[in-house]
Amino acid sequence: MLKIFNIIPLLLVYLQVSGQTPPEKIDITTLPGLQFDKVRFAVKPGANVALTFTNSDDMSHNLLIVRTGKRAAVVEAAMALAEKGPEMGYIPKSKDVLWHIPVISPGEKKTLNFTAPSAAGAYPFVCTYPGHGFVMYGVMHVSHTLTMPPLDKDPDVPDSRKAPGDAHTAHHHGEPVLHPYELKPPYMYRAFMEESGLASIAVRLPHELAFCWDAEACKLRYAWSGGFLDTKDFWHGHKNAYPKLLGEVFYRDKEAYPLRIGNRDLVPTVIFKGYRIVDRYPEFLYLVNGMEVQELIREKADGSGLERRFRIPNGLEPVWFLYGENDGMEYGVSSGKTDTERSVRLTPVEAREFIITMTRIAVR
Amino acid sequence: MKIRNLFLVCFLLLSPFLLSAQKGTESPYKVDEIPMPEGLDAETGGIGFFPDGRLVACFTRGEVLVHDFKTGKWSAFAEGLHEPLGMIVESDREIVVLQRPELTRIKDTNSDGIADLYEKITDNFGLSGNYHEFNYGPVKDKDGNYFIALNTASSGAGFRNNPRGVVNLAGRDSTNGRKQMYSVVPYRGWVLKITPDGQTIPYASGFRSPNGIGIDPAGNLFVADNQSDWVETSKLFHVKEGHFYGHPASLVWEKQWDGRNPFRVPVSELNKKRSEAVVFFPHGIMANSPSDPLYIPAGTQFPQFEGQLLVGEMNHDRIMRVMLEEVNGRLQGACIPFLDGNGLRMGNNRLAFAPDGSLLTGQITHGWAGSKGIQRISATGKEAMEIQNMKLLPDGFEFTFTLPVDKKSARDLAGYLIRHYAYVYQKKPFSEPIDHSNQTDVQTVTAQHVTLSNDGKRVSIKLPGLKKGYVYEFKLDRIKSTGGSPLANRLVCYTLNEVPSPAGR
Repeated sequence: MLKIFNIIPLLLVYLQVSGQTPPEKIDITTLPGLQFDKVRFAVKPGANVALTFTNSDDMSHNLLIVRTGKRAAVVEAAMALAEKGPEMGYIPKSKDVLWHIPVISPGEKKTLNFTAPSAAGAYPFVCTYPGHGFVMYGVMHVSHTLTMPPLDKDPDVPDSRKAPGDAHTAHHHGEPVLHPYELKPPYMYRAFMEESGLASIAVRLPHELAFCWDAEACKLRYAWSGGFLDTKDFWHGHKNAYPKLLGEVFYRDKEAYPLRIGNRDLVPTVIFKGYRIVDRYPEFLYLVNGMEVQELIREKADGSGLERRFRIPNGLEPVWFLYGENDGMEYGVSSGKTDTERSVRLTPVEAREFIITMTRIAVR
Repeated sequence: MKIRNLFLVCFLLLSPFLLSAQKGTESPYKVDEIPMPEGLDAETGGIGFFPDGRLVACFTRGEVLVHDFKTGKWSAFAEGLHEPLGMIVESDREIVVLQRPELTRIKDTNSDGIADLYEKITDNFGLSGNYHEFNYGPVKDKDGNYFIALNTASSGAGFRNNPRGVVNLAGRDSTNGRKQMYSVVPYRGWVLKITPDGQTIPYASGFRSPNGIGIDPAGNLFVADNQSDWVETSKLFHVKEGHFYGHPASLVWEKQWDGRNPFRVPVSELNKKRSEAVVFFPHGIMANSPSDPLYIPAGTQFPQFEGQLLVGEMNHDRIMRVMLEEVNGRLQGACIPFLDGNGLRMGNNRLAFAPDGSLLTGQITHGWAGSKGIQRISATGKEAMEIQNMKLLPDGFEFTFTLPVDKKSARDLAGYLIRHYAYVYQKKPFSEPIDHSNQTDVQTVTAQHVTLSNDGKRVSIKLPGLKKGYVYEFKLDRIKSTGGSPLANRLVCYTLNEVPSPAGR
C-alpha cells in the first residue's frame, strides 16, 4: 500500500516532466471591435497549456502573455518601439513578456504551448498591435482552485466586458439609452432595412406602430406593430448587419407603384428629394414623373392603421392611387372617386391634398 | 557605500539643471476635454463651428448636436441620419452632412435651433450594402463645389441582395480576392465632385479607404488613404481631376475602361497609370490609419505652422503635421508628430479650428482602434523647440527650427539617425496579413556634413546620393536649442519623389 501511495505522486511528476499530461486546451478568438472573445480563463500552477489563438477579425493581431500588473507597461513599451515596431511585430524586448503569439492575419491561427507559472496570480494577455493594447486584453488566472475574482472586480478585464449588455447601457428604467435625448414617437432613423432599398427610412409612430419607407423607390415598403428596432448590430458596423425588427409586420407593399400621374397604367419614374419635419413626423418630398409630391404618414388616431397625406401642389393631370390587393388593409380616401375596385381617381385640384387611410383588417 | 554617496552628491548637484531641462520640455500644448452629454455614444463623424462660435458635431448613431461654450449646454440640431461621417457648416442655420446613402443639406428654416428640412444634394453613387463602404467629406472649394470620397467594400464581407447602382463584378478580385477591397457598384474608391448646380462628377480614382479629405485655400485637394492591399503604407495624396491613385478596384468605373478585371491588369501597367502620394506615413512608425488633413490658416494658436497641414491618426494618441513644398512642379514633403500623448487620446478622426484658434479633435473607434469624444488642444504659450519646416536640397535636407540651435549639438553628426526605405507598389501577397507593411531597401544613411545658418535657426545636412521614391526618416536625437531644450518631436519622415536640380537653386 505504502508503495502505491508513493508511486502516484511520482507518476504525476513523471507525466508532467515528460509532457504526457494532456495539455489544458484554451481557444481564444476575436470579436469585432478589438476584443478577444474570451477575456479570462483559469489554469492551475504549472499546468501545460496549449493556447490556440484564431484571428477571425478583419485586422491583424498578436497575443502576449505578460507578468502580473505589467499589461500597461508592455503596451507602452510596444508603442515606444516607434520605427522599430513593424520589424519586431510590436513585441517589445522585455522580461515582462512571458510568452507571445506573433502578429497573425485574419483567418490565421497559431498555438502556443507553455507551462503555466508556478506562482498563483493574474497574468494578463494583450494584443500590442498599435492602438489595440488599450482595449484588447484579458487575463489568465493561475490558481490551485481555478477560482477567479468577480468579473466586475477583475482589473484585467476591459470595462466593456464587465457588464452584460455592453454598449447599450441600461439606464434608470431598464430601457436602453441610445441618444443624449429621450426618444418619444414619432422619430426616425435612416438605415439599411431588410426587404427595402439600402437608402431607407424607418419611422417610429405612436401606438407602437412603425413603418419603413424606401428613399430609393420613394414608397412605403412595410409597416409593423410592437417594438421598433434593435440597432445594436447595425450600429456596430462590422459585418453586414441590419437593424432587427422588434414587432409584427402587418402590411407589406406588393404593387409596382401606388401613385400614377396622367396615366393610370404607367409605372412612373421617381426621384427622392428629401423630407421636412412636421411635428417630428417626416414629410417625404419626391418627384413622380417630374411632378412634386409630398407624403406625410401618420398613425390613425385610434392606432388601427396608417393615414397617408399626399399633396401634389402643382398637378395639371389626374392622379390615381392604386390600392394593394390582399395586403391586409382596408383602404379609404378623403376625396376623388372610385375608378375601379382597386383604385381611386383624383382631379388635379383634388390631388393637391388627399388622405389615404389604411386600416388593419385584423384589428379593426 | 562611497560610490553610492558620490552618485547621490552628483545627482543633487545636477538636479537644478535637470529641473530646468525638464521645464524646457514642458509641452507647448494642453489637451482639454469637451464634456459630452449623457447618453451619447460619442463616435465622432464630423465637427465644425457655426459662425456664431457654437460647436456642431455629428455622431455615428445619426445625431447632429450643438454645443454652446457659453452655457456649456448641448442641444440636438438633427437626428436620425445614417452613419454621418463628415459635415461642413454653411451658416448658423445650415449644414451639409455626408451620410451613408447621400449628401444632404440640413436646414433650420424657422430658426428654432432644430433642423426641419433635409434636402438631398446627391445620391448619385452606388451602395452595395457592404459594411465598409463609408463615405468621407464633404469639403468645399471656393467655387462652391463639394468633394466627397467613397470607401471601397471590405473583402471581410460580401454585398447585399439589394444594391443601389449597376453591379459590375469585375471590380472584385474573384480569384484570390480574400484580401482585396472591392468596388462592385459605381464610384466606390473614387473622389466625386458635386457642382453647385447638382451634377455629380467622378473626379479621381484609385482610393482604398480614404478616411480623410481636406482642401487648402489655394484649392489643393488632399486625401489620406489607409494602408493595406495596394497601399503599402498610408499616404496623403494631392488629388487632381482624372488621376488614378493606385487601388485598382475603382478602375471599372473609369469612362474609358476596357472591361478587364483591374486586379488582373499587370502591376507594371497600373504602376504607370497611377500618381504617387505627396507624403507617405510610414506604417506602424508614423501612423497606421491617418484621417482628415486640415490646413492651418492664419490666426490659429499655432502660427509657427501656418500654411502647413495637420492630419489625425487613429491608432496612436497622435496628431501629425505635414510640411509640403513644390519640387519640380509637384508637391511633396514630410510628416512629423504634431502632438503625441499629453492627454490626447487615439482615434483622432476629425479636426477643426475653433473660433479662438484652438484645435478640436473629434474621436471615433467604429470598431477599430480609437476612442470616443472630443478634445481641445490649446497653445500654452510655452515655446517649444520644434522642426518648423523641412525642405529638400539637391544634396540633402534643410531643417528650420522654431528656436536657434545649440551649435555644438547641431554639428554632432552622430546625432542624426537617418534611414531611407521604399514601399513597393504591389498586389498584396496572399500570405501576408492585411495590415502588414513592407519596407524595402531599408538602409542607414550617414550624414556627411552639416551647415548652420547665421541666425542658428536653419541646419542643412548633406547626404550621399538622394534616391527618388524613398522615405528619408530622420531621428534628431541630440539637437537642442541654445536654451537647452531638446526637440519636442524628433522623428520626421520626408517622402522624396522629386529632387531639385542644383541649377534651379
